[in-house]
Amino acid sequence: MLDIPNDNNNKPLLLVEDEADMAREIENELRSLGYCVEIATTEEEGLHAARVCSPALLIVDRMLSGSDSLSMVEALREEGIRSPVLFVSGLAAVDERIRGLKAGGDDYLTKPFAMGELAARVEALLRRSNEAPATLLRVGPLEIDLIARSARRGDRTLDLLPTEFKLLEYFMRYSGQTITRKMVLEDLWHYRSLPQTNLVDVHVGNLRRKMDVGGQPSLIRSVRGVGFMLDVDLEN
Amino acid sequence: MWISKIKLWKTATFRVSVFFSLAITAVTAVVLVFVYWQVVKRDTAHQNRVLAEEVARGVNQTLPQLTREVDLRITRDLRAIDYAALFDSGGKLLSGNVDALPAALPIDGETHTIGLISRSNIRRETVSVLVVARRRQDGSVLLLGRNLSEVYAFRQIVLEALALGVVPSLLLAFIVGTIFSLRATKRLKAINRKIISIMQGNLTERLPTHGLNDDLDHVGRAVNLMLDEIVRLLDQIKSVGDNIAHDLRSPLAVMRIGLERALDNGSSDDLRSSAEKALGTLDRVMTTVAALLRISDIEYGRRTSGFKTIDLVEVCANAFDLYQPLADAKRIVFTLIAPEPLQVHGDFDLLVEAVANLIDNAIKFTPAGGFVEVAAKSESGKPVVRISDSGPGVASQERGAIFKRRYRSDATRHLPGIGLGLHMASTIAQLHGFDLCVADCREGAAFEMSLRDAA
Repeated sequence: MLDIPNDNNNKPLLLVEDEADMAREIENELRSLGYCVEIATTEEEGLHAARVCSPALLIVDRMLSGSDSLSMVEALREEGIRSPVLFVSGLAAVDERIRGLKAGGDDYLTKPFAMGELAARVEALLRRSNEAPATLLRVGPLEIDLIARSARRGDRTLDLLPTEFKLLEYFMRYSGQTITRKMVLEDLWHYRSLPQTNLVDVHVGNLRRKMDVGGQPSLIRSVRGVGFMLDVDLEN
Repeated sequence: MWISKIKLWKTATFRVSVFFSLAITAVTAVVLVFVYWQVVKRDTAHQNRVLAEEVARGVNQTLPQLTREVDLRITRDLRAIDYAALFDSGGKLLSGNVDALPAALPIDGETHTIGLISRSNIRRETVSVLVVARRRQDGSVLLLGRNLSEVYAFRQIVLEALALGVVPSLLLAFIVGTIFSLRATKRLKAINRKIISIMQGNLTERLPTHGLNDDLDHVGRAVNLMLDEIVRLLDQIKSVGDNIAHDLRSPLAVMRIGLERALDNGSSDDLRSSAEKALGTLDRVMTTVAALLRISDIEYGRRTSGFKTIDLVEVCANAFDLYQPLADAKRIVFTLIAPEPLQVHGDFDLLVEAVANLIDNAIKFTPAGGFVEVAAKSESGKPVVRISDSGPGVASQERGAIFKRRYRSDATRHLPGIGLGLHMASTIAQLHGFDLCVADCREGAAFEMSLRDAA
């Protein structure tokens, strides 16, 4: 978790949050992960900071001292500022998420959330913003062909079910990053509330069994209390 | 307070009744005037014609005959309205009741209206008289006339009738307006008192209705229905708050005790394990609260803006996909039957959640080696999703209760879960116009989600 993001560390993350305690916690967490964090507490400050420091990513609270921050994000988008926006919000309503994404947000995290969840989302968004769509993905010994729907680890072809293929593709797109259970459920199955059962773990377990045969080291490792990570460096 | 300021003549009822009375009075007056005008016109024309004919006939008679006629006419005129006179060619009166030929009267055989001295014995004044004069062959002049007082008398009668009619009807209008507006004001005052009472927080108060089915009653009943709905919503908000408070209290208490004990013991291992335990509890509490808020949001918010046309089969396939490995792990035969696409209007993610919750339940309650079947098909034109299993089933007396929040059957109390799954599924189904019910099934339980008949 302590690996410093390589290509975005020169650009700061902009946190627009009016609750001082929440802002401090998020800032501490992100700083401990090696990010540079700017903080704004009002919409005006947020707009100004976004124009001046061209942040790699914005983390925006939906409610800023009583007013809705959707208009701020809309204004930024109109000005052509394309930095990804992660909304954090106490508004859990079904429609609020849709409204947030429509206004130009890229992800929506409902309070309360675990810091690990926030960190994983931030990382995923940063990675997504500079990634080109490809039909052939290669991560370490892993290789998948999105058109032929085939997967290989080294020389060995992996015989995967469609669901497992989908999961592996997801892990490879976000390799080296923490993937939370919530992210997997939301992105792969449109499932927005956390079930009590260890669904994701079962899926990942099945994938692992097929990937790691004959004492091969497991490429997907568990991140305690948060989720999983595809980590190909382990093999070397 | 604005109640006391209701002024009688400012009430709508009063104004309306006065306005209508005035309108009716005006129309009556117009009709009377028209009748009067018509009668006078016809009467005058008739008089004109008769006089002109009589004078034309008179000039052809012999002088003695004419003198007798004139005298007879005057004798017979009991009402003293007729004028008749015969003048010689020098203008001297031969016989009759007009002293001299009026200077203003042209002798042309046409009728003219001129002023003459009244023939009445009581008042000798100048009155309007319709007169015709015609010269005979011997140069003498025959004059015939009729006092127009009859016409004026008629006019008088009409005017008096108008006055007699209009004044009482105006009076009546005022009285009726007063009575009606007094009644309306009384009712409005009663309604206002209730409204103020309701505004002060007595939400059990209702506006009075009189069973009259009039407009005030209609409005009153509508407002009462609105108040019922408001009270219902307030109760719901309160119950959501109560539920959350209830679900927070005991885990928070447990957490507090655990942390306190760890702090007292002082060992860092204890502290660590307690903190971890507390974190787990906190996560569960957060999940529960989030689920409760989501349920109440879906239940009462009626948010349907994200709805679009989606395929129910895709929804089921998605949820099926998600739970496949879990079923495999329990060696449950897990099948999906979805022969053809099922288009419905809804929110994909929410429906996935509903179906997933049902599947989650089915797999949870079905013992290893059993079966769970997900079927999505069209039955008599309606989309139906059925999830059946070979678990312990739902006892018939529990069938209503299981959809309520946090219901755990005695038979399944030992299994993990926060007890909101079925409630969530049922709420989502309701939002989409689906009914979720327990269907009959040979063994185990079957949950059926079917589109409700359009009301």
